Amino acid sequence: MYNYQIKKEVCELFNFDVIFDIGVVGLRILMPIYAIFIVYQCYAAMRRRRRSEKPLVTLFNTRTGERTPVVLWENSIGRGKANDITVDDPTVSRNHCVLLRRKEGWFVSDIGSTAGTYVNGQLAEGRTQVLVDDYIKVGTTEFRLLRGDEYYDEIKSSWFFKKVSDKPAIKAWKLMLMVTLFHFFMSIEAMFWNDGTNVLSPLIMFGALAAVEWGFFSISYFGLRRVSFELEALALFLTGIGVMLLVRQVERSAYVQLIAAVVGMIIFCVIIKLIENPDKINKFRIPLMIIAVLLLLTSIVFGKVTKGAANWIYIGYISIQPSELVKVIYIAIGAGALDVLQTKRNLIEFMIFSVICVGLLALMGDFGTALIFFITFLLIAFMRSGDFKTIILALAAAVFGVTFVLRFKPYVADRFKAWRHAWDYAQAEGYQQVHVLTFIASGGLFGVGIGNGFLKQVAASESDLVFGLVAEEMGVIVAITLALAVALLVIYARAITTRSRSTFYSISAGCAAGLLVVQLSLNIFGATDILPLTGVTFPFISCGGSSIMSCWGLIAFIKAADERTYSLKR
Amino acid sequence: MKRILRRSTLILILAIAFIGGLGFFSVELIMNAGDWANQPYNAHISGNGGLEQAGAIYDRYGAPLAQTVDGNRVYNENSSIRNSLLHTVGDNSLNISTAVQSKYRSQLTGYNLIWGLNMPQSLRASHDITLTVDADTCAAAYDVLASYGKKGACVVYNYKTGEVICSVSTPGYDPQDPPDITPENESEYDGVYLDNVLSSSYIPGSIFKLVTAAAAIENIPDIYDRTWECYGSEEIGGSDITCVESHGTINFEEAMAHSCNIVFAELAVELGSEKMTATAEKMGINATFVVDDVNTAKGHYDVSKADTNQLAWSGVGQYNDAVNPIQMAIICGAIANGGKSTAPTYIKSGTGDLMKLIGLNKGDSKQLLNPDTAQKLNDIMRYTITDYYGDDLFGNLSVCAKTGTGEVGEDHKPNAWMVGYSQDQDCPLAFACVVEDAGFGFEYAGPVAQAAMKQAAESLRTKG
Repeated sequence: MYNYQIKKEVCELFNFDVIFDIGVVGLRILMPIYAIFIVYQCYAAMRRRRRSEKPLVTLFNTRTGERTPVVLWENSIGRGKANDITVDDPTVSRNHCVLLRRKEGWFVSDIGSTAGTYVNGQLAEGRTQVLVDDYIKVGTTEFRLLRGDEYYDEIKSSWFFKKVSDKPAIKAWKLMLMVTLFHFFMSIEAMFWNDGTNVLSPLIMFGALAAVEWGFFSISYFGLRRVSFELEALALFLTGIGVMLLVRQVERSAYVQLIAAVVGMIIFCVIIKLIENPDKINKFRIPLMIIAVLLLLTSIVFGKVTKGAANWIYIGYISIQPSELVKVIYIAIGAGALDVLQTKRNLIEFMIFSVICVGLLALMGDFGTALIFFITFLLIAFMRSGDFKTIILALAAAVFGVTFVLRFKPYVADRFKAWRHAWDYAQAEGYQQVHVLTFIASGGLFGVGIGNGFLKQVAASESDLVFGLVAEEMGVIVAITLALAVALLVIYARAITTRSRSTFYSISAGCAAGLLVVQLSLNIFGATDILPLTGVTFPFISCGGSSIMSCWGLIAFIKAADERTYSLKR
Repeated sequence: MKRILRRSTLILILAIAFIGGLGFFSVELIMNAGDWANQPYNAHISGNGGLEQAGAIYDRYGAPLAQTVDGNRVYNENSSIRNSLLHTVGDNSLNISTAVQSKYRSQLTGYNLIWGLNMPQSLRASHDITLTVDADTCAAAYDVLASYGKKGACVVYNYKTGEVICSVSTPGYDPQDPPDITPENESEYDGVYLDNVLSSSYIPGSIFKLVTAAAAIENIPDIYDRTWECYGSEEIGGSDITCVESHGTINFEEAMAHSCNIVFAELAVELGSEKMTATAEKMGINATFVVDDVNTAKGHYDVSKADTNQLAWSGVGQYNDAVNPIQMAIICGAIANGGKSTAPTYIKSGTGDLMKLIGLNKGDSKQLLNPDTAQKLNDIMRYTITDYYGDDLFGNLSVCAKTGTGEVGEDHKPNAWMVGYSQDQDCPLAFACVVEDAGFGFEYAGPVAQAAMKQAAESLRTKG
């Protein structure tokens, strides 16, 4: 009797269906944990990477004998407490001059002081080179520029960077292996979808994806001899998830997406090369602005209205969204070196440019992108000026503008009437949102499996509603992890602010990360009816060639903000 | 560059706000996931495809009402039982939103927030549910109600425990063979997805005299010493109030037993709109009751814009008065219970952690009437049966009741009502029956109430 019972249980245990199902469920539980682990490893690797903070040069105050170590690449000098180097001398202006380091050596640049700045007794006009042992006179105070290695100071600890070390927490190739393995698991999951057809297509797609990933890694590692790869690994992780999800939605789009990602990676490398000299972009800003405005104008003139917004242009078989490319130009134009910022001349010019961009986007009916540009404008304006008045004025102008539009074009508001009332308009304007919510809830924490979702039958599920698609098929844990992976770029960009070679990089990195977070917010909260649905993409994951290219272009600024990108080679 | 670092706090705040938004979304998801998943268009659960994994549904004595056999959803073999419990159990569609198979479908199919609907079938745990209804009682009430071919409802519930014994709504259809509703036969199935017990309200007619009587008992000290003269019609506030017959000289108890409109119209005017409204509010006429997550349809008593004549009519359940069947059953239960209401429920038990998944709110008891008022209403409702209708009407049950005939206008015949309860300790049952477009209350609602109460008593006494 007892034996018989055991035998029966053993038989049940080896029931193939049950074993297979346990395997499938096991894989689904594993995936979220694995995704969290990868994102953690990427950021852990970023935290460990840091150069030792030895002073680059020392400023010797000839009057008081005080030695001031200079650790930053760009330093503001003045009487004000907020300066990098504070001089307690009434004859020195609040913001007096900027001491900056470039490839060619050290320079000092006067930023409109009353008393002027002198190098070896000569009045400095524009950027003036300073050599070691030269004298810099600000007001009545005179500094002598000395070599830095004579001075050692206790290195301040930072909450983000753990230890001073050039050794990564995890070797780049190991990180890449983890990322690739995750995509492999995705392809396995996609093979066993409920539909049962085209079993092998995810594997073929995975092969192409892995080739791209390791190709890019090899070029970066052996060709460009970059010392770090964490940021790229994170971006590849996200890009790959987007591509693998598409295999079971629109297979052809998955290949288009992968090709676009390759173009994005090329753009990434080209931008890093182009902005190697942080002063160069400033010289080309007018032509860049014209190009940006022309790009936006073409989509108004030749644009085809899709989903209420005329932001697509078609060239043969290729459709592109110029507004995505303008994002990259916008960030590049917005940033600037410290001495350029401190003179404040450019903010008006930038404001006019911003008003034109936002206006053209609103004219296209692409309110989501217009909002992204507007918030990015606020970020850039504040980073450059530190002036709350500008922000408040801009916000007031925006509120006025929106009221004006709603007053004369009330139908614009109709597009957003389902906001926070999606269930009341479940068959009309709230259709997409309620489907997203239903299918997110259906997916639970671990998802129904790649390809088994039903949200894919709803329009724009692979782009505007992709958060719901990820949550339904891979579970809400993965969806939130991916969102956090993008949002944490802000933390990283902020942590490397003072470590950048110029404020051009720190501002552009911070604002690029900020832009991605704004876009992410509009995407996720729009799809889940927390904000109005404006139809913007989830960075890196949403299907859309222009979108993925611009995302890769934007993180190039974050990569460039890490000084090791240029100064260190493997 | 330190300035830039300080200013970048703004971007950090943006990121923190985003993370806060994600937190907000997570809370919304945790609170509402069940409702979100439970949508008719959700292909993960809708159609027979979802129900084939759902657990069985039983009546209080274990009779299967719906279960899955070989991948098909099978309903009770008895056609009357199937039809009578359509609105309580539901069918394969999600059209009847208050039915158990609709509102708890995700729980029946094993939905929960952690697994969503992603568990492979071989590993999924479905749940069985046992209802408080008695299939035989429902079938008995349905057979009488359906024979009229009108819209109507009948509910019987235990006012001590809250268990609903009988809940029937017409029109209905056979859940085993649902009709194709087309533009041609639409009118035949008008309101078919609505459970009239929970979700409809009707003009009450004379059953509303319970409210007027309660107000009179509480506010007029010499009410039992008074007499009135009824000549079949009387001018109040410029127009006539009519009575079914000329009752002559009549006292308060007789006025209730014979349902004299003149007396109660005069009382309503004497009490005034303020006191009438206060009593109606206290008895829960304008309130919604929560029955297993479903908010019942509200009744209606609003005399704020009424003139004297309309106020008089409002006292006999006309004007713009409205009540809901289960609401009336709850009020009758409260009269029997010394003024305290008992919240009804349809759910007796569930397997596994189903009850926790459903998370039924404990329907709280409300004091709808003063104990003294309840006792006096009890006495005159009992007198109505013993004096007017005869005590053998409900077999050996000691029933207290009130009938009502709600006039709805020229195009339709009146709503027939009968509400009340049995005093018996072993069968503490309150009931409310209504038939639309019918005629005299006792003539149409009476037989439905009789059938339901007799069968319910028999089932309770033989099967427990």
